[in-house]
Amino acid sequence: MDRFVDEALVLSTVDYGDADRIVTFFTRDHGRLTAFAAGARKSKRRFAGALEAGTWLKASLVSRGAGQETCRVDKVDVVKSFHRLRDDLPLIARALYCLELCRELTRDGQPHVELFEALKDYLALLDERKAGPTSLLKFELDALQYTGFMPRFSPCALCHGPTGPQPRFDAQHGGVVCFACSPRVPHGVFVPPAVVEALAGLQAGARVPLAPELRARARELLNVFIAHHLGRQLKSVAFMEQVGLD
Amino acid sequence: MTPDAINRLVAQLAKLPGIGEKTAQRLAFYVLRSPPEYARGLAAALTEVVDKVKLCNQCFSLHDGPEGTVCSFCSDSRRDDRLVCVVEGIADELAIERTREFKGRYHVLHGVLSPLEGVGPDQLRIKELLVRLQGESPIEEIIVATNPDVEGEATALYLTRLLKPIGLKVSRLAQGIPMGGDLEFADQATLARALAARRDL
Ligand SMILES: [Zn+2]
Ligand SMILES: [Zn+2]
Repeated sequence: MDRFVDEALVLSTVDYGDADRIVTFFTRDHGRLTAFAAGARKSKRRFAGALEAGTWLKASLVSRGAGQETCRVDKVDVVKSFHRLRDDLPLIARALYCLELCRELTRDGQPHVELFEALKDYLALLDERKAGPTSLLKFELDALQYTGFMPRFSPCALCHGPTGPQPRFDAQHGGVVCFACSPRVPHGVFVPPAVVEALAGLQAGARVPLAPELRARARELLNVFIAHHLGRQLKSVAFMEQVGLD
Repeated sequence: MTPDAINRLVAQLAKLPGIGEKTAQRLAFYVLRSPPEYARGLAAALTEVVDKVKLCNQCFSLHDGPEGTVCSFCSDSRRDDRLVCVVEGIADELAIERTREFKGRYHVLHGVLSPLEGVGPDQLRIKELLVRLQGESPIEEIIVATNPDVEGEATALYLTRLLKPIGLKVSRLAQGIPMGGDLEFADQATLARALAARRDL
């Protein structure tokens, strides 16, 4: 039995039995981990509503020894619950999408400190209502980069030349290829150069809000890229599209 | 070797939520050791439940009356047609009913919006609520009584979005410190909400 304390964000929860809850944490120093919170839904004093998706907390965890993947939650102290974002449907949708993205991009026991900090900061931005719709693209690009899935928007993924006026996007080759290279990527899809340029700009740190049309195309492209790498579409994408981003 | 009949029983029991193989086995042996009337009674109760209990086709609560009729909440003429309380599930409906404070009608969603599980509006009884609004009895206020968690909030906001433009009054159960609760142990979110929803004395 090993006891440790780590900063964590609650990625998701599943109720278990009548009173317990299984919680997936994204911890700062131990990466993603699953923990069992006995009595989480009954004992108001011990966990006081803290074990909910999106909460930032300090968790005291007990690992249950070799061969036991699930930890036990001993105690939690909420740092911030980001409850203000819960008054707005698109903000909830975006927050849950980011949590799911991080849950799926990470593996148990593999720390990603930069991603942890980025997620925490983004949830704070959403909570303060300071996150414009373009910021989601930036978060997605950062998350992909921190977990080693960074798509390349420039230069051409194959010949490293400029992507030119007729770029194709191919998730399998990890990004955009130029017109001359396009015969080598039969599944590549045409993307407007403006979209490629916008994404390359965001990746390079530009902080310019994108027009809604451009943003929609960029999201579509990232959806395809992320679904390709994870082998499935994220579940919260449909909800986010349904309730809108703005 | 275990007789097939026992294996079949264990397999069926193990499908119940929260019941693993071991527990299923323990339950199966308990049934075997009990007097045969117990097993027959259990079997009869199970069959009766599936044969008789269905969902009321107005509020989607449980209902065991004859085909083509509505449940006792919907048919009780002393209840107020103008008020409809929307709940996640039957257990919540019963909890509200136990207060004896609510005299309106109910509508059971059978779940909440759960983006991380891929549960969207189409999987809930939301369309059916909209159909009810077009019925002849005039509904004036919808009380959204979903849980105060992320999914419950999302569901409440989604319903508000749908119902407000139709001109309905939409309200939400107040949130705050539980009766007999301890301020010291209340979480940050609960305290903040309780403060925001404070009332004059
Ligand atoms: Zn090329
Ligand atoms: Zn009914």
